[in-house]
Amino acid sequence: MTFEPTIIAFLCNWCSYAGADLAGVSRFSYPTSIRAIRVMCSGRVDPALVLEAFINGADGVFVMGCHLGDCHYLIGNFYAQRKIKMLKKLIALTGLEPERLRLEWVSASEGARFAELVKDFTNQMKALGPSPVAGEKPDPNILENLLAAKAAVEDFRLRVLVGREGEMVDEGNVYGEKVSQEEFDEIMDEAIAAEYIRNKMYIMLKKVPQSVKELSKRLNIDPRNVLRHIVILRQRGMVAMAKVEGTTPLWAALEVGGR
Amino acid sequence: MGEKASVLVIGGGIAGIQASLDLAGRGFQVYLLEESPTIGGRMAQLDKTFPTMDCSICILAPKMMECYRHPNIKLLTYCELKEVKGIVGDFNVKVLQKPRYVDEVKCTGCGVCAEHCPIEVPNEFDMALGIRKAIYMPMPQAVPRCMTIDKENCIKCGLCAKVCRAGAVDLQQQPKEMDLNVGAIIIATGFDQYDPREIVEYGYKRYENVLTALEFERWICASGPVGGHLIRPADGIIPKRIAFIQCVGSRGLKFGSPFCSSVCCMYATKEALIIKMHAPDVQVYIFYNELRAFGKGFQEFVNRARNEYEVKYIRGRPGEIKEDPKKSLTIWYDDTFTREIKSLTDVDLVVLCPALIPREGNKRLAEIIGVELDEYGFFKVKHPLFAPVDTTIPGVFVCGYCQSPKDIPDSVAQASAAAARAAEMLAQVRR
Amino acid sequence: MAQQKEKPRVGVFVCHCGINIGGFVNVPQVVRYARTLPNVVHAEENIYTCSAEGIASIKEAIKEHDLNRVVVASCTPRTHEPLFRGACADAGLNPYLFELANIREHCSWVHMREPDKATEKAKDLVRMAVARVSLLEPQEEPEIDVMPTALVIGGGISGMTSALCLAGQGFKVYLVERKPELGGMLKKIYRLYPTGEEASRVIGDYVNAVMGHKNIVVLTSANIKDVKGYIGNFEVTVLKEGEEIKLKIGTIIVATGAIEFKPVGLYGYGRYDRVLTQVELEEILKGGKSAIDKRFFKLQRVVMIQCVGSREERPPRAYCSRICCMVAIKNAMIIKEWYPDSDVYVVYQDMQTYGKEYEEYHRRAREAGIRFVSYTKGSPPEVTALPNGRLKVVVYHALLGIRRELDCDLVVLSTPLIPYEDAKELSKMLKVPLGQDGFFFEAHVKLRPIDFATDGIYVCGTAHSPKDVGESVSQALGVASRAAIPMAVKRLRAEAITSVVDESLCSGCGTCIRICPYGAIQKDERGIAKVIEVMCKGCGTCGASCPERAISMRHFKDEQIIAQIHAILRRVAA
Ligand SMILES: Cc1cc2nc3c(=O)[nH]c(=O)nc-3n(C[C@H](O)[C@H](O)[C@H](O)COP(=O)(O)OP(=O)(O)OC[C@H]3O[C@@H](n4cnc5c(N)ncnc54)[C@H](O)[C@@H]3O)c2cc1C
Ligand SMILES: Cc1cc2nc3c(=O)[nH]c(=O)nc-3n(C[C@H](O)[C@H](O)[C@H](O)COP(=O)(O)OP(=O)(O)OC[C@H]3O[C@@H](n4cnc5c(N)ncnc54)[C@H](O)[C@@H]3O)c2cc1C
Ligand code: SF4
Repeated sequence: MTFEPTIIAFLCNWCSYAGADLAGVSRFSYPTSIRAIRVMCSGRVDPALVLEAFINGADGVFVMGCHLGDCHYLIGNFYAQRKIKMLKKLIALTGLEPERLRLEWVSASEGARFAELVKDFTNQMKALGPSPVAGEKPDPNILENLLAAKAAVEDFRLRVLVGREGEMVDEGNVYGEKVSQEEFDEIMDEAIAAEYIRNKMYIMLKKVPQSVKELSKRLNIDPRNVLRHIVILRQRGMVAMAKVEGTTPLWAALEVGGR
Repeated sequence: MGEKASVLVIGGGIAGIQASLDLAGRGFQVYLLEESPTIGGRMAQLDKTFPTMDCSICILAPKMMECYRHPNIKLLTYCELKEVKGIVGDFNVKVLQKPRYVDEVKCTGCGVCAEHCPIEVPNEFDMALGIRKAIYMPMPQAVPRCMTIDKENCIKCGLCAKVCRAGAVDLQQQPKEMDLNVGAIIIATGFDQYDPREIVEYGYKRYENVLTALEFERWICASGPVGGHLIRPADGIIPKRIAFIQCVGSRGLKFGSPFCSSVCCMYATKEALIIKMHAPDVQVYIFYNELRAFGKGFQEFVNRARNEYEVKYIRGRPGEIKEDPKKSLTIWYDDTFTREIKSLTDVDLVVLCPALIPREGNKRLAEIIGVELDEYGFFKVKHPLFAPVDTTIPGVFVCGYCQSPKDIPDSVAQASAAAARAAEMLAQVRR
Repeated sequence: MAQQKEKPRVGVFVCHCGINIGGFVNVPQVVRYARTLPNVVHAEENIYTCSAEGIASIKEAIKEHDLNRVVVASCTPRTHEPLFRGACADAGLNPYLFELANIREHCSWVHMREPDKATEKAKDLVRMAVARVSLLEPQEEPEIDVMPTALVIGGGISGMTSALCLAGQGFKVYLVERKPELGGMLKKIYRLYPTGEEASRVIGDYVNAVMGHKNIVVLTSANIKDVKGYIGNFEVTVLKEGEEIKLKIGTIIVATGAIEFKPVGLYGYGRYDRVLTQVELEEILKGGKSAIDKRFFKLQRVVMIQCVGSREERPPRAYCSRICCMVAIKNAMIIKEWYPDSDVYVVYQDMQTYGKEYEEYHRRAREAGIRFVSYTKGSPPEVTALPNGRLKVVVYHALLGIRRELDCDLVVLSTPLIPYEDAKELSKMLKVPLGQDGFFFEAHVKLRPIDFATDGIYVCGTAHSPKDVGESVSQALGVASRAAIPMAVKRLRAEAITSVVDESLCSGCGTCIRICPYGAIQKDERGIAKVIEVMCKGCGTCGASCPERAISMRHFKDEQIIAQIHAILRRVAA
């Protein structure tokens, strides 16, 4: 049997869900790969939901909204765009192909476009093959990475940066100074990388206490950087020194107040 | 008595819709009378809207649904106004419901009947560029979602009735008369497009690659007859060069009406941008007389079209269009800046921007209601500056294009104005 | 997970929709499958679930099987959700405990050629709906009271019109004007196009009507100092002659108008006293012919230059000011009337004499002998002084292709209406935006031209953009309708689907306040985010962005969406 991808589509109520309806009314056929989840606005799609879908084995996640400027809620889709931009960078770090996440704008009159996009994305997913974390035997490494990514987007830092990007770039910060898009992207990239690694470390330390050196080897990053992250994780109350083996302290994850 | 005061709104375009929603929202009973099978008016036919390039039906459809669902609005689609008697606060109105031959309550709008209907008819909604059946719904977003049989073309084969599982088809339906009592009346009958066949030099209907602007809106719309692909009507070839001609039958330039339709410079710019967004390599020319971009954000929009999208604006009046054997067109025009006769050759598609004129039916409406029209056929107002929505009869108000040429936002604002005046007058009459 | 009082008892209704669904999806199979799903206690098929029989059968089943959740698998919720919700409500079930599975538009109609796969997909969609509906919670639509009092800011023709119309409908109105007198721009204008009336006379009538109306309180020489609250319940502080007045207000109308641009440095303005703006000319015309004679001796030739400082390449003054062409024609004709032998020139780029009246107005001007000379942006006219004190205008006539040198007594510059500089302060107080051009920016350019995105605040007249009196009055009446709606209803019923802040998690970072386009989130005294439910439109962007994940969306909670994701991906629902 040929591979049939499973794609989760988040459709906004006003444009893209209506576009999908129009595809139906006009009888434009497309592959059965897609399962739509209706949300009021593409801005509602929390990055954590996207990662939840990947963790559970979705082959692809499609987010659709109104064309820029057409948002029923004026600006929701701009926030969606920023979230997806961040997510793609983050997913790239996990070993999952970032192309498995796609954002498109579909208006209520674009039934044909909706069908085309579903076809196109399905073919793209077919070419990529099944998600490494789908099915009976998910790739444990990538799965762990995705869990780290999800934890990262549930945390304050990335969320606040995404939430404030428009303000910083277009209107200026509290001092009225504008940050250029390049500058902001740089800050963002750094934050994504750091938050991802920190959460990854946290998950690793949850399994078994480890030293900076061990972490450094497993993650393939400089021990000095590892230590920096450990310091921050400690400040956040997420890790603590568990014991000292010889001269090497071992670090362990703390239970964090679950939500 | 305890009965709600009620208002009759005539015309279900964006103006009529807005006036109805405003009045219903504050508790009036509204009868929204529309002669065609669906509300929505011209705006429903547009692809996008200037200057924001919003998808037209996307922003309109929710409003149409809101009218449909509103407990205070009764939609009278496919209806005709027959008689109006009485005075402000107490108009007695007769309305004729034309038979749809489909039961509005039973029909689910599923469209199976249309699939089976053997009769094909040009679809008015697509400006006759597409095809519908004798049993049809003008557009997928029609409100109400109910099929209509157009009696003129129906051959009474009864197939639709057979396939309809809901048993909604009723070929015996008769016209029905309704009596309403309303306190005020709002007229919002919109506009028609001038038929440019009169200007033979432009070859409209003779040359297949000459379209009017409304036709082009449907042509380029994703839900239109060709799915929004940018192709030539004559042969389906992808065009390389497209020209727009402004003021066709407007501003007293030889033919048609003396007034300016107020929206054409802008919608031509919009359509040019739509083309450029579809296919950036297509060359687009706009032949204009005076570029009127006087609304909020309009000049900025034109600047964008000119500078960012390289739409070419030529100040000049085309005298004649000639077709060559390959169905391409040559436009002869006098360039008003260089004062030379020039030609633009190898034009694949010409879009005429005809005058937008008051509806023919306004005369009859004016007679029935007793209000006056101005010399062009627009509804006359009491004072153009200080009473811009009051007609010559107390209790009868007007809004939208049928009062004077205007775009969508001005129609919407004026619709609210008409609603306010109706409410104000009823508040005083009922006191 | 949501604390559920009772175990979900779900009923599933699968619609054939004639043959629209039934012809491609094996409906009986879907029904059988539905019965195997967790929480499902009843499943049935209908030919048309939306028909009278279908609805009756839903209501019956709710009673018979004691259902507390309903799923209909049929068509799109965008058209049919209200109908089925109504059926639930009729049977005593909270209408939000309902979910639609769209197996027509999203399934049978698009997978007609693959009936087996379509059936499988329909099962998935039903499973998703059951998983979601099991976690749904009842919702109530909150209500608030609306104070039936309006505040109109600005006492020009727009503000006075709105005030009169609202007062005429029986609402109380406060009209706040910062100048000592009402009237606005029209106080400076002589006659009005296209009718030729004297502006002062009309304004006089309006002022009398406003002052004499029992429902209107006029506060002149007064300024808005502070605005708090939200629709229905604004608290406004007005400063009048050193005294603070506190008002409780239901709706606010912004009618603050605009002023004319002073083109210092352009065409000799500010250097030669024979170069005036149109407003300055109007003010002289108000004094009659003698005032002109006194100032200029007499007028032999007058040149008016259009688009001075407007229609520029970039904002803020890239716009066309809409009225200046008619203003120029009007004043040109007055001069021509008073000095029949004079030459009056209007030097223009494009005459914006749009619509039905103004095209005619333009024609009348040409017939009256006004001369129109066209210039292009690239070669604007030049104004220099002659030794005898008169002026010389050099213009390249773009249509005739000739250079004209015109000696003249007076040059009048048609400059655009521009927003007041301090509009920014008012916009901050009201928390409504200004556009790139500095004018107040409406909620939606096409369909909400006189509303702000923030409920309960409206805009009209030249505060919105340049326009003439007729258009200003149209908008002013329009806002009188928009503002009257909530005040007439008195109680506002809001969307049930709104965001909710978990106070224990909120850190007061303010991200949501920035994000919400409707100003629906405000900080409370403790600095914690508070959702004004009646203003929230339920998009959910705030929640999906909240750094502390302290905001959740009613009816679209994370766990409800996650349940759908799990239902899709784990073939056997947990
Ligand atoms: C090609 C083109 C493009 C345009 N693009 C734009 C754009 O991008 N942006 C913009 O702002 N504007 C645009 N416009 C202008 C816009 O279409 C109008 O401003 C707007 O549609 C006017 O709305 P209305 O409700 O007054 O009239 P209409 O939309 O014409 O509605 C009138 C309604 O009344 C009904 N009716 C008529 N007579 C009767 C009767 N006797 N009894 C009962 N019902 C009756 C009609 O069936 C119709 O439904 C465009 C116009 C054209 C032609
Ligand atoms: C030279 C010229 C000639 C014109 N001729 C014509 C004509 O012939 N025919 C025609 O139709 N139109 C004409 N117009 C246009 C006409 O003037 C406007 O359409 C009209 O004045 C707009 O009225 P408005 O009430 O919106 O604004 P305005 O008249 O500007 O009134 C706004 C009022 O708000 C007050 N205000 C501002 N800010 C505040 C604040 N923060 N707090 C309190 N109060 C505030 C102002 O003091 C002012 O009184 C002309 C305009 C110009 C410039
Ligand atoms: S859900 Fe949307 S409208 Fe409601 S508070 Fe959040 S951002 Fe504002």
